[in-house]
Amino acid sequence: MTELTYIGKPARRVDALEKVLGTAKYIADRKLPGMLHAHCLRSDVPHATIKRLDVSPALKVPGVRGVITSEDYFEHGLYGFPVKDKYMLAYQKVRYVGEAIAAVAADTPEAALAGVRAIICELEPLPGIFDMEQSLDPGAPQIGPDRPDDKHPNFLDKLIVRKGDPLAEWAQCPVKLEERYTVGPQEHAYIEPEGVLAVPTREGGVVVYAPNQSPFVNHGTLALVLDLPHNLVRVIQPPVGGSFGGKDDVIYESSAQAAKLALVTGKPVRMVFSREESLIASYKRDPMHMRIWLGADADGTLRACKFDGLMDSGAYASESPFTAWRASIHAMGAYRYAACDVDITAVYTNNGYYGAFRGFGNTEVCSGIEQAIDEMAYKVGMDPLEFRLKNCLRVGDETAHGQTLTESVGLTDCINTVRRLSDWDRKRAEYATRNTQHAMPGTAGHAVRRGIGVAALYHGTSLGAEGHDYAGSTIAVEQNNSVDITSGLTDYGTGSRTVFTLIAAEELGVRPERIHMQRPDTDTAVESGPTVASRATMLGGNAMRVAAMNLRQTLDYAAADLLGCELHQLLRHGEDYVGPSEEPVAWEKVADHARAMGLALSAQGKWTAPRINWDHHAGRGTPYMAYHFAAQVAEVAVDMGTGNVQVVGFWAAHDPGKVIFPQGAYGQLYGGIAQGLGYALMEQMTFSNGYLQETNFESYLIPTSVDVPELVGTFVEAPFSHGPYGAKNIAEPSMVPTAPAILNAIYHATGKRVRDLPANLERVLLGKDLTKGGSAKACKLGLKTA
Amino acid sequence: MLIEFTLNHKPVAVEAPPNITLLTLLRDYLNLTGAKEGCAVGECGACSVIMDGRLVNSCLVLAPQAGGSEIVTIEGIRGPDGGPNDMQENFITYGAVQCGICIPGMVVAGEALLMHTPNPTRPEIRTALAGNLCRCTGYQQIVDAIEATARGRQVDK
Repeated sequence: MTELTYIGKPARRVDALEKVLGTAKYIADRKLPGMLHAHCLRSDVPHATIKRLDVSPALKVPGVRGVITSEDYFEHGLYGFPVKDKYMLAYQKVRYVGEAIAAVAADTPEAALAGVRAIICELEPLPGIFDMEQSLDPGAPQIGPDRPDDKHPNFLDKLIVRKGDPLAEWAQCPVKLEERYTVGPQEHAYIEPEGVLAVPTREGGVVVYAPNQSPFVNHGTLALVLDLPHNLVRVIQPPVGGSFGGKDDVIYESSAQAAKLALVTGKPVRMVFSREESLIASYKRDPMHMRIWLGADADGTLRACKFDGLMDSGAYASESPFTAWRASIHAMGAYRYAACDVDITAVYTNNGYYGAFRGFGNTEVCSGIEQAIDEMAYKVGMDPLEFRLKNCLRVGDETAHGQTLTESVGLTDCINTVRRLSDWDRKRAEYATRNTQHAMPGTAGHAVRRGIGVAALYHGTSLGAEGHDYAGSTIAVEQNNSVDITSGLTDYGTGSRTVFTLIAAEELGVRPERIHMQRPDTDTAVESGPTVASRATMLGGNAMRVAAMNLRQTLDYAAADLLGCELHQLLRHGEDYVGPSEEPVAWEKVADHARAMGLALSAQGKWTAPRINWDHHAGRGTPYMAYHFAAQVAEVAVDMGTGNVQVVGFWAAHDPGKVIFPQGAYGQLYGGIAQGLGYALMEQMTFSNGYLQETNFESYLIPTSVDVPELVGTFVEAPFSHGPYGAKNIAEPSMVPTAPAILNAIYHATGKRVRDLPANLERVLLGKDLTKGGSAKACKLGLKTA
Repeated sequence: MLIEFTLNHKPVAVEAPPNITLLTLLRDYLNLTGAKEGCAVGECGACSVIMDGRLVNSCLVLAPQAGGSEIVTIEGIRGPDGGPNDMQENFITYGAVQCGICIPGMVVAGEALLMHTPNPTRPEIRTALAGNLCRCTGYQQIVDAIEATARGRQVDK
């Protein structure tokens, strides 16, 4: 490959300046003249029939300008993908605490809240399901929609992988493991709560400023439920204050509510959530119960894996069918097996609702399988890191799905790298000796024990067999010779705007400062599917590369004409073009010449991923075109008197393919590790009879700067031939192996397995939960205030 | 009531109800939206400002309490040319910014630390930031940026 000028070199994030100055305008910072404030009436019961809903008293409240219900939408606002089961405002039933029933727009937030309180809403409670294990019981109350087949209405989906007969294989293995693991729900905890600003247009349409991940999905959904032609709906993404998978469906709902209120009142309408409303009303990462069977030979060769997962989708499907699919594909981990079965079943309950969150099923199953793999290593008497090296996927290996990996498999490099960086071998030996001297907690002497643990990962790039995988970009030279670029894939803090800018600069041969990456706007960008699955760099990057190459052809043609030479005689020196006479010509002059020649100085690029196939019925095929590989090592200090776990060291080696924007890639890596640390140790969400107990950051704890240790990250770049410059992905995989690495380190320190996440004080100290009880109080209070 | 104080080195007088927070006063009455509301209960630090030389959560300060005090917000932190100062430049250079919603609070917290502890250790920086939540960065590059700023200011002395 030729020397790269901008790719992989230090760069400035394109939107960093306005953010450090405090001038970036997030939704809550935007005000328009005459703007109304919107607030939702939300259910304070987990499951009920709406017996009576009378909004007319709200309209009499001073300052209230409009009130809407499900009656105000096409088909009552029914939406959802892949399963249409949720309404923009509840229709006939509510299925979780916090579900929106009606929305009020008023001159002030206080008047909107008064309007909400004036609505007459009679809810007749129905029995609920609060334990996913009971969801499919024959007599269980129906939560899911009616089904055309004879399956239980609370059954959402089941995803499988099949290879051979793992239980028969398992029975023959000399070393066996059969164990259960659980993970709880996790809240995205973006520091910016949800918000939307909708502005009615003179043509009868609406412009929606929405901090969503996927404006085009929002756009299509809005056109549907508002019954408007697509050209009358426009979605613009302002700066997004964090998302991590969390600002799609919930923002589509807020968008539809604010947009309808804007259309009804003829005024701009802004809706901003409080933290309590955000925590209660938004979707979370799904909890999962896992049962894992592993079998190996005495020499440590893995032979059999059977994985049964039960996943809570909560009251609605949201992205859970896709989450369950990604979970099924990754459930066995990055290892070779003679036989392997995976079954992931997703069911409905009344515990809030669950959707997309970074890692998207893999974060959940990796916590289970990477602990199980660790336990197997102990059973066969091998170092956990050696055990992984012995069994992990390499180039040429066939995965459990039947896919042969032909390139870009950096896993052994990653494992060896973290081994060296963390001083693994010395610490394993040293801590083992020291800790065994005091086998029981509470004994005198060492009150704090050290441990070090590892976890490995693979994570499929982009959508895979979830859907048609493509992206589009545009590029244009403006009159002042700046270059405007767009992408249909968005940047909600991830850094993709900078990635696209660097790619356009590299291909076009111009400085990044010349390029202006526009904000995502459905009127100007090209539809590119959803911005999910860590797909922006690869899909959007390729699309940007194609767009820039197309524009470059035009400019090269003009340069050759200007310099009176053939295309192959052109050279570049910085931005300048140089011909055979070796006189440099400024890039602007070439652009001017192209204009004089009547050439169009704009181009589009589209990139579609190579076709792959997955047989959902057989559980076999090629699920993803490529995989990200990684290994992470955590070192912990466990206070044996309190159960407190401090992560004191952390090393991560990842293979994201070629790194395009290094500061951004490291930022994603470090941030993912911090989220994984929270998932492992402190982020506890408790539903008590459908009522969330943690409704703000004083009870839902996320890692602070003193909880996160100094992080050592490094990239093993195994290029992927279809990625832009060899790039794959980084956003999701960064957090996936963190929790099991920490859990495995806790075991190394204490000799006791904590198989339920998070590993809170009582689970580490006592090995069980303390009964705390719960109440509806925090939820009811949280929903009463703005 | 009339609330008078020094805001970003200039005197201000603003008519506002006595029962609002300093955060609301800044955002809704003075149009300074750099301080953000992330939790409204003093847990996240997105609303951080410097009040009489101390880092405070402006969501926990009643607006009248600001009377007679000296408040510095992110809008008051600028270089001599009105652009980013060295701290803000370092946040960009070290890749400390992702979604950016916590960043005004982080910059303010960093400045508050360096006012009293001009040459902090990394653990001291981490302790100073413990009241400012960031969900994107894992804090590493934020600590890097503040450390580099402190070093730079030591050299410049």
